[in-house]
Amino acid sequence: MKTKKKKNLEKQNIGYLLVAPSFLIYLLFIMIPVVWSVAMSFTDYNLVEANFVGFKNYINLFQDDLFVKGFMNTLRYSAMTIVPTMALGLGLAMLLNKKLKGKGLYRTWFYLPNIFSMVAISMAWIYLYDTRAGILNMALRKFGIGPVQWVSSPGMAMISIAIMSIWIGVGYNMVLNLAGLQSIPEYLYEAASIDGAHGWQKFIYITIPMLAPTTFFIFVMACIRSFQVFGQVLIVTNGGPVNSTTTLAHQIYLNGFEYYKMGYASSQAVVLLVVILTITLVNMRYGKGGETDAN
Amino acid sequence: MQTNTINQEKKNKERTKKNKLGKKRKEQFQLILTYIILTAWVVVVLIPVIFVILTAFKTDQEISLINFRWLPKSFTNIEAFRQAMQMGNWSRYFANSLFVTTIVVGGSLLFNSIGGFAFARLKFKGRDILFVMILTGLMISPQSVIIPQYMIMRMVPLVGGNNILGQGGTGLLDTYWSLIVPFMAGSFGVFLCKQFYSTFPRSLDDAAKIDGCGPIKTYVYIYVPLSKTILATLTIFKTVATWNDFFYPLIFTTSEKMKTVQLGLQMFKGSAATHYNWLMAATLISVIPTIIVYIFAQKYFVQGVVSSGMKN
Repeated sequence: MKTKKKKNLEKQNIGYLLVAPSFLIYLLFIMIPVVWSVAMSFTDYNLVEANFVGFKNYINLFQDDLFVKGFMNTLRYSAMTIVPTMALGLGLAMLLNKKLKGKGLYRTWFYLPNIFSMVAISMAWIYLYDTRAGILNMALRKFGIGPVQWVSSPGMAMISIAIMSIWIGVGYNMVLNLAGLQSIPEYLYEAASIDGAHGWQKFIYITIPMLAPTTFFIFVMACIRSFQVFGQVLIVTNGGPVNSTTTLAHQIYLNGFEYYKMGYASSQAVVLLVVILTITLVNMRYGKGGETDAN
Repeated sequence: MQTNTINQEKKNKERTKKNKLGKKRKEQFQLILTYIILTAWVVVVLIPVIFVILTAFKTDQEISLINFRWLPKSFTNIEAFRQAMQMGNWSRYFANSLFVTTIVVGGSLLFNSIGGFAFARLKFKGRDILFVMILTGLMISPQSVIIPQYMIMRMVPLVGGNNILGQGGTGLLDTYWSLIVPFMAGSFGVFLCKQFYSTFPRSLDDAAKIDGCGPIKTYVYIYVPLSKTILATLTIFKTVATWNDFFYPLIFTTSEKMKTVQLGLQMFKGSAATHYNWLMAATLISVIPTIIVYIFAQKYFVQGVVSSGMKN
């Protein structure tokens, strides 16, 4: 009895030891920063001194045209990217889910943009979007159109950023959709065929409902990702022209690390935190199916 | 009665034959259409990639508008690569990126897998609470915690000119530590490993116990050899993420000697308009490591996306 107890105790200690690195890193770089971020958002900290200012930062946020613009731009970006990326991702996955030659090759190519860094992708697209030398305008010139000011006109810049992001995101969604489609049991389609259902009906009555958890998951991930959009904005346009592409994350970066208004930037970071937490919690509440379906 | 059914069968057969022929033609048409659409997207994905490659081999004159041709005059013209690599200390950037990526990947493999093993297979008080806490890390986006993370790095005592209270200097900012330590473990990796180890049968642990293995021996001799897929997936994810990271180096480092490949690449932007060939050459070189990883591990990679994405 005594030895058993001792052995249990020993086992416990080793467990703590093994999870310690992960937990310490989590504590130090996630948990404490979250609390600190909230605390800092009530101060005017500027790397030199900090005074408690109460809700002043939060009140200022909503009178700050740039913050509001950044928030609205983030929403615009989401609206422009989420639906096309999801639709194309699903469409391509549906096509790839048939018996095809070279399936693996297609899948590999589609996913390719996801392994490039945002910097490399941005550099390539800066060239493609170049008003004079870019191939997009060269191609348009052949049709007598243009030149289009892809990234240098306020009307087009966000659309150009969105196109880049769609280019990246489709492959990712395609892979997730493919996994979802493959988990739909074949007998459902066979049963439907026997009942005389044709392609479109099978899609509406089997594929869509069976794929719903995957679709919901992809939607939530897309929301989260688009609320974090930063790299392409910083590199391609740096928020311009006339702030037409500044986003929530870009505003946090500028206020925090360009203007050193750490307190104010923290309040924006808290807003971002709350938005993403809300999206995730909604996912957990309504998206339970995603887990069971995958397993 | 019997003749009747035979006739019926004959009729049915004829009908299905006719249908089959029409159906076959329709299926063929659909298949061709499928290939066309899929290939169209491959082209969309490839055009920017091909353009980067082609441009990198062009001379300054060739990229000017007047003489524009699709193909470079020669694929052996590496002048742009040479010029690009002379703009800035690229051997240093590569060494930095390689060093940081290697250590981060190595460390995270170890820490994530031992953490995942303990959470999945060992019993200790508060285990589930600790695990749920770590999981909440998945919901926290980098931008919303970057400022305190920066402060923590800056306020590490007794390094980088700091006093014992962590004041006065820059702490671990602009050192390798700042690019390595926060990324050595993560919610995602621990979660992935825990899920993976949870699927192992209980009898495995019992057998190990009978043979006199403690938890650590069990992990080393039984679990590690069975972990190839999960470790491969993690390696690929972490390599791509670390090599490609731009956000943290941008904020945590300031000096030229600490620059990573991504920061070096970004510096080109200013001079881009006149020397797109240099910029594309540098871009091309910067993606080589992830391309190599992708080629070797493509199978695991897509599997990894599938399992991680869905179980997230």
